[in-house]
Amino acid sequence: MKIILCQLFDILIYPGLLFLFAAGLTADWVDRKLYARMQNRQGPRWFQPLADFVKLVSKETITPKAVDSPLFKVLPYIAIAAVASCIMMIPLQNMDALLSFQGDLIVIAYMLTIPTMCLFLIGWYSSSPYAAVGSMRVLTQFFAYEVPLLLALLGPAVIAGSWSVGDIAFYYNAKPVMTAVNIAGLLVALIALQGKLERVPFDIPHAETEIVGGVFTEYSGKLYAFIKLAMSMEMIVVAALFSAVFLGGSLGLSGVLGFLVFIGKLFAIIFISALIRSLMARVRIEQMINFCWRVLTPAAMAQLIISIIVRAVYG
Amino acid sequence: MKSIREQVAAWARTASPWIIHFNSGSCNGCDIETVAALTPRFDVERFGIVQHGTPRHADVLIVTGAISKQQKDRLVRIYNQMAAPKFVVALGACACGGGVLQGCYGVLGGADKIIPVDLYVPGCPPRPEALIDGIVKLLSGIKGVENA
Repeated sequence: MKIILCQLFDILIYPGLLFLFAAGLTADWVDRKLYARMQNRQGPRWFQPLADFVKLVSKETITPKAVDSPLFKVLPYIAIAAVASCIMMIPLQNMDALLSFQGDLIVIAYMLTIPTMCLFLIGWYSSSPYAAVGSMRVLTQFFAYEVPLLLALLGPAVIAGSWSVGDIAFYYNAKPVMTAVNIAGLLVALIALQGKLERVPFDIPHAETEIVGGVFTEYSGKLYAFIKLAMSMEMIVVAALFSAVFLGGSLGLSGVLGFLVFIGKLFAIIFISALIRSLMARVRIEQMINFCWRVLTPAAMAQLIISIIVRAVYG
Repeated sequence: MKSIREQVAAWARTASPWIIHFNSGSCNGCDIETVAALTPRFDVERFGIVQHGTPRHADVLIVTGAISKQQKDRLVRIYNQMAAPKFVVALGACACGGGVLQGCYGVLGGADKIIPVDLYVPGCPPRPEALIDGIVKLLSGIKGVENA
């Protein structure tokens, strides 16, 4: 009975849905506030993402006649479920994740593609020309950023000699110098993150000036609130993954102190993401693909080779 | 006495108005002022105002210009695509009542001839401050409104 209660706490409160909900909304606000401050303006109030969410939930939800109704309604929740499952496998306030096994890095990487596939299907089943163009762009972009992102995540795994996120974080705490080897990989991953979360300069799938709202064009009310929430949660999960894989997680601390270190790293990654967002303008889709395949992928490959050599020499 | 659920929904509605901008036959003067109001200089995100491209996401429809016969059907379609509760702001003299274009062969008149208008912002063109003031007044007005 006690085990079941503990598991329910893990799933529903921390580090499950409630924590992700709060952290996702906070990340959304921090991102928008930083973006506003970098444009020399005040920016949204602290409760803005919460007000947006509540407003959308209380609004009418329109299901257009042409859409495939069951999938149209269920896809936002699938995206949230996939993202929330990932957080169980990432070490947060201490060095152990709730679920830890050899190969969980690969499982997380694959689970994090589910929201992207949901975005594609959302656009596909919306039966709207704007959404269809948006979903094609989601897939095209997906093939560009996913390879460098996976290669960048491989680097730390090769050095640590483990496929488990917890082990990698543990290794980097034991040998902090090794973090410096992976700087290029971290940069590649941070740039690919902009593509994964569809943020400027890679917000091509929902370019407002060209294709209205992209894949979200037909979404309204509650369903739009939840797909937006899934994207905010994904930001937290990916930032947590990067902090564990590249930056050594909570530095071997545990409890409140470890939690604060973890949150600090999380928001440092969000800060860099907001910085990129406010410095760049949107690029075209073929520029994005050229950049990812000609610059990011070779950089990630070079990082991987360096990691293998470092592993062989100092391992 | 309204239930807590309604009060929370009313609070959220006033704190996060998302706008969509529609040109129904304007000379582009009001549109330039609308775009100017969305620049960092005026920082409308302080009030939670964000512009969205699709009518499905938006709460406030900003109509600029006198309604031409060509644009009437499009305006009605955009209005019908918005999710309730929705509000309409008529921006500029033409959208309020036809303005200088009143009586032209291709013009029907103000926006209120076609769709229900909640707020009129006069001026030719109105300054960005007038638009921001109008939206804030609209929000303080809808605090008690259940379904407009």
